[in-house]
Amino acid sequence: GTPRGQGRATQLSSPFPVCSLDVPFPSSREATIALRSLSPDKEPRKGGISKLITVSGSTLSVRWSADEARILRVSVNSFLDHLSLVMETMEMFGPPVAV
Amino acid sequence: MTVVIGFEGSANKIGIGIIRDGEVLSNPRRTYITPPGQGFLPSDTARHHRAVILTVLKEALEQAGLKPADIDCVAYTKGPGMGAPLVTVALVARTVSQLWGKPLLGVNHCIGHIEMGRLITKANNPTVLYVSGGNTQVIAYSERRYRIFGETIDIAVGNCLDRFARVIKISNDPSPGYNIEQMAKKGSQYVELPYTVKGMDVSFSGILSYIEETLFSMLVEITERAMAHCGSQEVLIVGGVGCNLRLQEMMGVMCKERGAKLFATDERFCIDNGAMIAQAGWEMFRSGQVTELEDSWITQRYRTDEVEVTWRD
Repeated sequence: GTPRGQGRATQLSSPFPVCSLDVPFPSSREATIALRSLSPDKEPRKGGISKLITVSGSTLSVRWSADEARILRVSVNSFLDHLSLVMETMEMFGPPVAV
Repeated sequence: MTVVIGFEGSANKIGIGIIRDGEVLSNPRRTYITPPGQGFLPSDTARHHRAVILTVLKEALEQAGLKPADIDCVAYTKGPGMGAPLVTVALVARTVSQLWGKPLLGVNHCIGHIEMGRLITKANNPTVLYVSGGNTQVIAYSERRYRIFGETIDIAVGNCLDRFARVIKISNDPSPGYNIEQMAKKGSQYVELPYTVKGMDVSFSGILSYIEETLFSMLVEITERAMAHCGSQEVLIVGGVGCNLRLQEMMGVMCKERGAKLFATDERFCIDNGAMIAQAGWEMFRSGQVTELEDSWITQRYRTDEVEVTWRD
């Protein structure tokens, strides 16, 4: 099945803009594949943004915090593009081989 | 038998190639071409690559007549190059490496050009002139490193040609350099321009008014100097600008005078392509190198001499 995500961006109670995204995958293995593809590259921008990607069960979770909403938007948009490319690749060339 | 698939997309070309023990099984490529007068920007280039990469990957497998199970190693360009396009390509390489259960190898783009040049031409131990839109280096192999003997101190020679093409609005199809070359063939007037060689290095930013003769003469001079320094009798030209027949002709004259041999490849392999990454990956893989996923980050700066050349003596 195709993973679907749920995201929220809030600027209400925290002084810095934050965003959280949870993406369910068909299996823990596939969520982990996505994690290991998406985490190695550093953010192009040095400073002003932090991002943490984790896997729990078969859900990939991403948590951002940034100094400004503008910086947060750029990073989240970029991540969503990358995530959709990884998911399309998994759709076209998956499922993962038996270990 | 070792089969390596290579992914390349550090500039405006996206290519995926498959090599089996020195045989190029497939090497499809797409070029992002901008309108005359415009260069290519990282985000637009990444968007172009993203739109076609999975199609090109399918083509590479189909044209080679292979299934993922037949692949032994997944190689990709770690750098140098433009950040956004490099990431786009690395994402797909990392993902298929995990889906197919195959080891991953991050390759230096310049070394990809060198290893492809060596494979195709069978040059033994040449002085290498690497000339493209993004790079200009004179390289010689010594003790497990590709040593940079000379380089541009500002912009790459291909960048100079591309910028000139932009100013006079030459078409970028199939590439600005190719169209400059065609027009230059019909030229008869030589215009004296700043000729800037500093020892082993060159500078091109003072010459943004064109003329292949001057740019290429500078490159021939620094290549000759490196050859004299190394006692080398072979020259290998790699990189997109290496397609230029006038450059090959001028280099050939210098080589003939020295009794040296000139090697070059055609546009399939001197222009950025996936198979060159596969070939460098094949050499690295067979000598025991592998890239762990956590270390597979891309990098816009990656010098040719940072890599330990474990596959040569």
